[in-house]
Amino acid sequence: MRVGTLVLGSMLVLSLVLGLGLATQAQAPRPELPQSPALAAPPEAATPNLLVDLSQPRVSITSAFQGESLLLFGMFDPPGEIVVVVAGPPAREQVMRKERFLGLWLNTGRQLFDDVPAYYYIAASQPVQRLLARGAGGEILSLEDRLASVQSVGERRTAGELASFRDGLVGVKRNEGLYPAAFGQVTIQGGRLFRAELPFPSRLPEGVYDVRTYLLRDGKIVAAVSRPLPVGKVGFNADLAGWSRHDGAFYGIGAIAMALFVGWVGGALMRRL
Amino acid sequence: MEIYLPIAEQSINIFILLGLGGAAGLLAGMFGVGGGFLATPLLIFVGIPPAVAVASQANQVVANSISSLQVQWRRGNVDLRMGLILLFGGMLGSSGGVTLFTYLKRIGQIDFVIAVLYVVMLSAIGTLMLAESLRSWLKAKRHPEAPRGKLHTHYLVHRLPLKMRFYKSKLYISALLPLGLGFLIGMLSAILGVGGGFVLVPAMIYLLGMPTGVVIGTSNFQILFVAANVTFLQAVTNGTVDVVLALLLILGGVVGAPIGARLAARLPGVVLRGLMAVLVLGVAVELLAELLRTPLSPYSLGIREVMP
Repeated sequence: MRVGTLVLGSMLVLSLVLGLGLATQAQAPRPELPQSPALAAPPEAATPNLLVDLSQPRVSITSAFQGESLLLFGMFDPPGEIVVVVAGPPAREQVMRKERFLGLWLNTGRQLFDDVPAYYYIAASQPVQRLLARGAGGEILSLEDRLASVQSVGERRTAGELASFRDGLVGVKRNEGLYPAAFGQVTIQGGRLFRAELPFPSRLPEGVYDVRTYLLRDGKIVAAVSRPLPVGKVGFNADLAGWSRHDGAFYGIGAIAMALFVGWVGGALMRRL
Repeated sequence: MEIYLPIAEQSINIFILLGLGGAAGLLAGMFGVGGGFLATPLLIFVGIPPAVAVASQANQVVANSISSLQVQWRRGNVDLRMGLILLFGGMLGSSGGVTLFTYLKRIGQIDFVIAVLYVVMLSAIGTLMLAESLRSWLKAKRHPEAPRGKLHTHYLVHRLPLKMRFYKSKLYISALLPLGLGFLIGMLSAILGVGGGFVLVPAMIYLLGMPTGVVIGTSNFQILFVAANVTFLQAVTNGTVDVVLALLLILGGVVGAPIGARLAARLPGVVLRGLMAVLVLGVAVELLAELLRTPLSPYSLGIREVMP
C-alpha cells in the first residue's frame, strides 16, 4: 500500500512537470493515436489537448504476480470531464450452466458468445450514467451496453435465455475481478491534471488491452486517446507458457525429466537423513 | 508467499502446494501408494482448474514412483514380467484415457466426470479396505496364530486363456488379467491424474493373488511409465501440465515420504489400513457433498478462444 502511494505521488509530480512543460510550449507534440474504426471521425481542427500516460508501459506477469494496480494520468485543456475505458482483448467465451440431474449438479447447458472482452473497466470524473446520458453513449459503452452487442453462437435460444447466460458470464467475470463492479473514479486536480487507478486481478488473460481516454464537453467527445497496454507473462513464466503452447512434446519431455531428476535425487537425499 | 503458476494462470500460496505435496508424500511413505487420489481433489478444492490439476498431478506421480522404485528395484521387489504386461495394458489405457479426457474437456463435462469417478472409486476402495481391515483385526483378536491357508483363492478369472508363469510372483495365471488391469489403471491415471496405486495394489493382492512383497515394487514400475506417458500426452494434446505446480508438489512429497515411512514402521498394519480406508472414504464423502451441494452460481466459463 505504501509503495502504491509512493508511486502515485511520484507520478503526480511527473505529470505536473509534464503539464508545466506543455503550458510553456504551445505546440506540444501529440501522442500517436492508433486510429481505430470507432475513432475514425477526425476531431475538428481546434482539438483540445489530451495527454495520457500510464505508470507502466505493460503489465508483466511474473512469478510473484498477484494482480496489479496501474496509474493512468494525464493532462487536458479545460473545461471538460474525463472518461477512461479499459477493454481486454475480445475472445469467444463458453458459458456453462449447471442443473440438478438425479440430485447431482452437472453442466447441462452451454452457450458460446463471440467478441467478449477479457476485461472491462470504466472510470470517470463524474458519475458515468450522467455523462453518458448526455449523448456520448454511442461511443462510450457501459459494460451492459458493450455486452448487449456480443453475438451468441450456435444454439437457438429465446432472448430471455440468452440474457440469463449473459448475466451468468458477467457474474463469473465479476467474481474473478475482470469486470470490476463499481465505476472507477477519475480525479481531476488543478483543473487540468487527472489520474485514475486501473485495477487488474491476478487471473488476468494475456493480450493487448486497449486503454481509451475521452475528453467530454457538454456530453460530447471532443478529444480521445487510445493506448495499447500489453499484458503478458515475462521471464521463465513466459518461456514455460510458450513451450507448453507451441512445443508440447518438448515441454512434456522436460516435465518428465524434471520429475525423474527431482524424485531420484530427493528420494536418495532424504533416505540418507 | 504467493506464486504465480504459468499454466494454471493464477497465483496461489506456495505453502499450500508444498503442504499438499507433503501430505501426498506422507501417504506414499505410509501406505506405499502415491497419494495422488488425495492430492488431486484437494488441488481442485483450492481452485486449480481440474484439467490442470490432473495433468500436473501425473507429472508429480513420475517423481513419486521413481523415488520409491529406486529402493524396490535394489531389493529385487519388482516382478519384471508382470510389470511389463501391466505396462503394456497401461500404455494402451492411458493413451485412450487422454483422448477421452480431451473429448470430455471439449464438451465441458470433464469436471463432472472427474468428480463422479473419484466418488465411485474412492467409496468402493474405501469400503473394501475398511471391511478387510476390520475382518483381519477381528480374526487376529480371536485366533492370534491362525494357520495360513492357500496362497490365494481361485476365482473364475483364473480360468482365462493365455496362461503364463510369473516366477517371482509364484503365479500361473492368464496374461489377460494383468493386461486388462493395466489398461484400467492407465485409463484412471489419464482421467484422474493418479498413479492408480490405490486400485492397483489391492487388485494385485486380491485379484491376481500376488505375494505382498513384490506388489509395491511392481506397481511402482508400471505407474512410473504410465504416469510419464500421461504427462507427455497431456502436454502435447491439452497443454495442461503445470511444471511449477508439479515441482512444488514433488518437493513437498520428497520431504513427506520418509516421515510417512517412519510412521508406518511404528504402527501395526491393520491399524494402518484402517486409517487409510477412513481417509479414502472421507475424501469420497467430501467430493459427493460437492456434487450434491447447490453451487453458488450455476454458471461457469469453459475454454476461452482468442479471436483473430
